[in-house]
Amino acid sequence: MKDMMNELPGIDRVRGRFLEMLEQRQSAIAGHALAAWDGQTLEDINENLASAQAVLHQISGSAGSLGWADLGKAARECEMEIIAHLEGPDADLAICPGELINHLDVFVTNCREVIAAQRTPVEAE
Amino acid sequence: MRILAVDDDPIILELLCQFIEAVGDHNLSTAPSAIDALEFLESNPDDVFDCFLFDIQMPGMDGIDLTRKLRETSRFADTPVLMLTAMAEKRYIDNAFAAGATDYVTKPFEVSELKARLNTVEGLLEARQTRTKKIFATQSLAEDVNTVEIFEPISIYDVENVIDYLAMENYVAQLSKQSLFGSTTFAFTIRQIDAFHAALSAFEFYSLIQDVAEIISDTLVGRQYLMSYAGSGTFVCITESGWRPDMQQLMDAINLSLARTELYNNAGQRLQPRVSAGGAIRLVWKTGNSVMEALAAAHASAEEACVAFEKSQSKYFELGQTA
Repeated sequence: MKDMMNELPGIDRVRGRFLEMLEQRQSAIAGHALAAWDGQTLEDINENLASAQAVLHQISGSAGSLGWADLGKAARECEMEIIAHLEGPDADLAICPGELINHLDVFVTNCREVIAAQRTPVEAE
Repeated sequence: MRILAVDDDPIILELLCQFIEAVGDHNLSTAPSAIDALEFLESNPDDVFDCFLFDIQMPGMDGIDLTRKLRETSRFADTPVLMLTAMAEKRYIDNAFAAGATDYVTKPFEVSELKARLNTVEGLLEARQTRTKKIFATQSLAEDVNTVEIFEPISIYDVENVIDYLAMENYVAQLSKQSLFGSTTFAFTIRQIDAFHAALSAFEFYSLIQDVAEIISDTLVGRQYLMSYAGSGTFVCITESGWRPDMQQLMDAINLSLARTELYNNAGQRLQPRVSAGGAIRLVWKTGNSVMEALAAAHASAEEACVAFEKSQSKYFELGQTA
């Protein structure tokens, strides 16, 4: 969001903090996705998916305002996919959709790319 | 303004701190959860807040329940609440406004947008302060003069599904971005509102509007709807879930209920308000400004029905005449 970047003097500090947290958050999403995929019971699967959704929700809420609109949009899409599963007809079955895990995997990779690009801006260019 | 922001994401709270620092003139407090916010407000009973910014999805209690809880208290019954959320789906929007939200901003937000929304809140607070002073000044002095203008959209509290007119406008603005397949708007106007306004004090007039709102709300119970008093005796409603109201039947039910309810002015004289209903206008395939225009059309149609009714009472000899 251009206007945030131009109008808020302390925005760089918030962006830095977002990246620090993104490091933890992407690893939390990966952990929950793996646990859901390996889960044997309905509770294991759905609770881990719900936890991943909560982290995705936080990323989707702030990434766009801090200049990472695509990352925010991707987080929102994954979040909606999890909500659709948890509120859908398969919600009471111990099933973890492979496609959903695949999308989470792509999202985690996106997060790592964003973090890497900010750490080494010259190389990323 | 003194603002309290509640969000479980520390990044959003930091962003809001930066935002408030940049726009100036405001004082921001933050809480990381609804429970923390309630504890903070309880332990600081003398703190006055002019505006709340609430996230919806939070662990424990969500922002909608937090709004509902605050609206139950006299302290924050009318403090503007802006939902600041990533949840753009209609069910969240409906629930937020029904719980008492004043406005709804979707994340990611922009500085200019948030600034504009806070300016609107400031304007609302100023207008409300002036109006409240007028209403309660005449109550204590028992003056006969009505100092509240007839066209003012008075805020009504404690009536189920009745929201402030500004909140209704904001709700409509949000609706205009959604699919409105099952939505319909309609309105009721209190007959002879000019006469009531001229005869009653500001407080009596306010009480009359509140009582009629309560009766309409009771009549609509069990339906999914939001209603707002738009001024000049007119209540505008938006209903969901595909319900197409039979306006004649609804009007009769409201008038029957009004006839059974004993309403009095301060002098002990009985007031016998009745309403006229306009047409029900479906909002399907309407977007942007046309949703607000449909609301205005429903409003106008109720006022026209009111005029037609009054004409039919006084100029019955013209009935059935054709040009």
